[in-house]
Amino acid sequence: MAELAAAQRLPACARDIPVRTQLLAVAWLRWRIFVNSIFRRRPTGARQAVGLAFSILLRLILWPFLAMAAIGPIAGSGFFAWMAIAENHPQSLFPLFAGIGLLWQFVAINGQSFAAAVSSFDPSSLARFPLRFGRYLVLRTLIGLLTPSTIVGCLALLAAAVGIGVAKPALAFPAVVVLAVYALMNIFLTRMIEAWMERWLANRRFRELFSVLMALMAIGFQFLNFQRAPTRAPGVANSGLFNFVHGSSPYLNWLPPGFAANAILRAAHPFAALAQFAGLLASTALFAGVFAIRLHKQFLGELLSESLSRRAPASPIARGRVLSQATGAVAMAAAAQPHRPVFPPIVAACLRKEWLILRGNPAQLFGMLTPLIFIVILNRSVFARHSTYFLPGAIAYALFGVLAGLYNVFGADGLGVQVYLLAPIRLRDVIVAKNLMSLAVIVAQAGLAWVVVSVLARAPIPPSMQVSTALWTVFVIAANLAVGTLRSIQAPRKFVPGQAQQRRGTPTNRTSGLLIMLVLFGSLALQVPVTLLCRIFHEPWLAAWIFGPLAAAAVLAYAVVLRNAEQLILGRRDLFAEELCKA
Amino acid sequence: MPAACIVVSSYKQIMTTPAIDTIALTRRFGDFTAVHNVNLRVDAGQFFGFLGPNGAGKSTTIKMLTGLLAPTSGSIRILGEDMKDNPAEIKRQIGVVPEGMALFGRLTADEYLRFVGRMYGLDRATTLQRTRELLEFMQLAEEQKKLIADFSHGMQKKLALAAAVIHGPRVLFLDEPFEGVDAVAAGTLKAMLQRMITRGATVFLTSHVLEIVERLCTHVAIIHRGQLVAQGSLEELRAGGGRVGQKASAEEAEPVDAKHRSLEEIFLEIVGTDREGNPAATAPEQELSWLS
Repeated sequence: MAELAAAQRLPACARDIPVRTQLLAVAWLRWRIFVNSIFRRRPTGARQAVGLAFSILLRLILWPFLAMAAIGPIAGSGFFAWMAIAENHPQSLFPLFAGIGLLWQFVAINGQSFAAAVSSFDPSSLARFPLRFGRYLVLRTLIGLLTPSTIVGCLALLAAAVGIGVAKPALAFPAVVVLAVYALMNIFLTRMIEAWMERWLANRRFRELFSVLMALMAIGFQFLNFQRAPTRAPGVANSGLFNFVHGSSPYLNWLPPGFAANAILRAAHPFAALAQFAGLLASTALFAGVFAIRLHKQFLGELLSESLSRRAPASPIARGRVLSQATGAVAMAAAAQPHRPVFPPIVAACLRKEWLILRGNPAQLFGMLTPLIFIVILNRSVFARHSTYFLPGAIAYALFGVLAGLYNVFGADGLGVQVYLLAPIRLRDVIVAKNLMSLAVIVAQAGLAWVVVSVLARAPIPPSMQVSTALWTVFVIAANLAVGTLRSIQAPRKFVPGQAQQRRGTPTNRTSGLLIMLVLFGSLALQVPVTLLCRIFHEPWLAAWIFGPLAAAAVLAYAVVLRNAEQLILGRRDLFAEELCKA
Repeated sequence: MPAACIVVSSYKQIMTTPAIDTIALTRRFGDFTAVHNVNLRVDAGQFFGFLGPNGAGKSTTIKMLTGLLAPTSGSIRILGEDMKDNPAEIKRQIGVVPEGMALFGRLTADEYLRFVGRMYGLDRATTLQRTRELLEFMQLAEEQKKLIADFSHGMQKKLALAAAVIHGPRVLFLDEPFEGVDAVAAGTLKAMLQRMITRGATVFLTSHVLEIVERLCTHVAIIHRGQLVAQGSLEELRAGGGRVGQKASAEEAEPVDAKHRSLEEIFLEIVGTDREGNPAATAPEQELSWLS
């Protein structure tokens, strides 16, 4: 009777879903997502065709570079491994394996944020299907395996195994086996780091701390790099990197790259080799285990959002206060103006809103300081040799990061843009406010860079250079303001620098993504040929004569765009709704 | 004991096994308790409405009941099986339309349903047949080759519902299923859900549209600030019973006009009082005199 009741409760329990069915279903899902992302949005009109042409052009330019970036480490690994054995420098295998592993993890971690931005698939969503944990673990390990880091890493290790095998055929088999396990270890290490990073980065405080740490690491690395630059000249043999590589072998003995290298090199002593191989297996198991712990938490169900944990039952009075603080920010700014306001009420209200957003983003504020530190570092290296370019170079460096904001007048607001579309206001006022805030940030950044350069410059900067740089700066800012504002109206979706094919982008968006990069780089790089012309003609004021009219033209162009902005937006309301008002 | 008696007795036992049964279900997020000590019982074959104001803990409860969120404490039994012991088998017996719908935007409707069918272990032929039938039923057949990302909100909702039922679940969890769905499609969906109920399935539904709940559901539970404040049949609630933690019962309550009270009135009455029956502030007292 009890059996009957149990059978009635869950009749399908007896027959398990075959592993193959679910694995193939997920593989098919990934394949369809890949195919659809390429072929589903076929261009039809002339404008879309231009977008497609630009996409193809971009690929033609980028792919050879990417291929070189991949072939280099692969061929280098094979050659280096062959050299190590053939030339009787077996200890060189330690840094080689460590280098491949480090590069693997570095590319994987950096690629993760990009992959997350362009992917529409969240693998953790698979937990809602009837999967046992083992299958979930296998699926999560397999999904996303075909990443550049894994492919290049595996091929580099394969090349190393081939190199070792060619140099000493007796080591070919152990090299293949050991390096296959080493590749597996790297896969689990990547997965472990990704899974735990995702958990930690869900915490706002950790995100902020992590951003600061990454920035400090980048700055520190550059600082050390340039500090060593003058002593690097005599030859590779004396370089710090070379010494570090050779001095690291004893330490690597106790780490997975050392286990892998020893397991191959001690093949003549089976017990020693097996002990080292066991060490490598244990490392692999350790990383897989830590990865599995995180996934198990995820599988059981978790909510990483901080919004709930920060929430507390609010009294009606408190709720009212919060409500008035949030929604009243714009209204208060508009209403509580002095008798002679500097800005019209709408502009002032939008400016206040932009300021509140900027103030609540410490990472962005910290990001503004980073270029200044780099200018100090660059002053000791690149600009020490080319002091003529110090001022414009430093300004260009400082401006590059902040100029992208000019292209996201509406994109950064996302769905919130509906407020502007519905409110009885002139959208031109919104553009003016947003541009003013961006302009304030840009001017502050450029001004600080100028001050840093003035303090650090070894010789007084000639007035001609100062004037031409000032005019060039006005030109760069005004040109990017004009194009940025126009782009924000023509293709309002958010532009992310460095991501040429914008996510879920229309052909207009894709095209404009490429154009933005051209305008950004082009306007900044214009300083180089103009400075060269000055040198050729021995006329230092020539640059000012060139940039003066250009700056005036750019300012005029911006004024024209601004004057017609209202009409342009009204004509493109449908596009705004399509690109920004859809969740 | 005669064989017929054994069969009848075991049938009774099966029927008394609740489809959903939670004991002291609690979920905390840091210091905040989203769901506190919830004891829910939903019998098999019931059309059950789960109500509560915004932020009361409805979606958190559904997430726990469907295995998407682990409870901090307490237990969940679905069709007699403990969620902790056998989540995969429970997931196989349930269908879910979650709050965010969890669709894959880069797939077409047809591809998505085929994927879901295969994940639930349906064979290829059955998956294809059900996909076709569901797309027809949900009036999505003409849009089946369009990317889900390009669907309207209502179309996405219909597709999420189709995916939730493709494997023939015995318990269906629906988080705001009619939100953004047009009247014609809503009628079709309601008919489908009613048909599932008559065939023995259990439907657990949350909605802010109390008229829909009143028309469809036979039983209702109300959650407020993470705590279950009422549970029972609509008749019980109308008669003033079903309050959790209160002594009032159907017999004690005054029968005057009880049959004519709407669910909205009952809901506002219950949510407007705390667990001890004292009036609780539900809306700010400002007059907003500037409103025309």
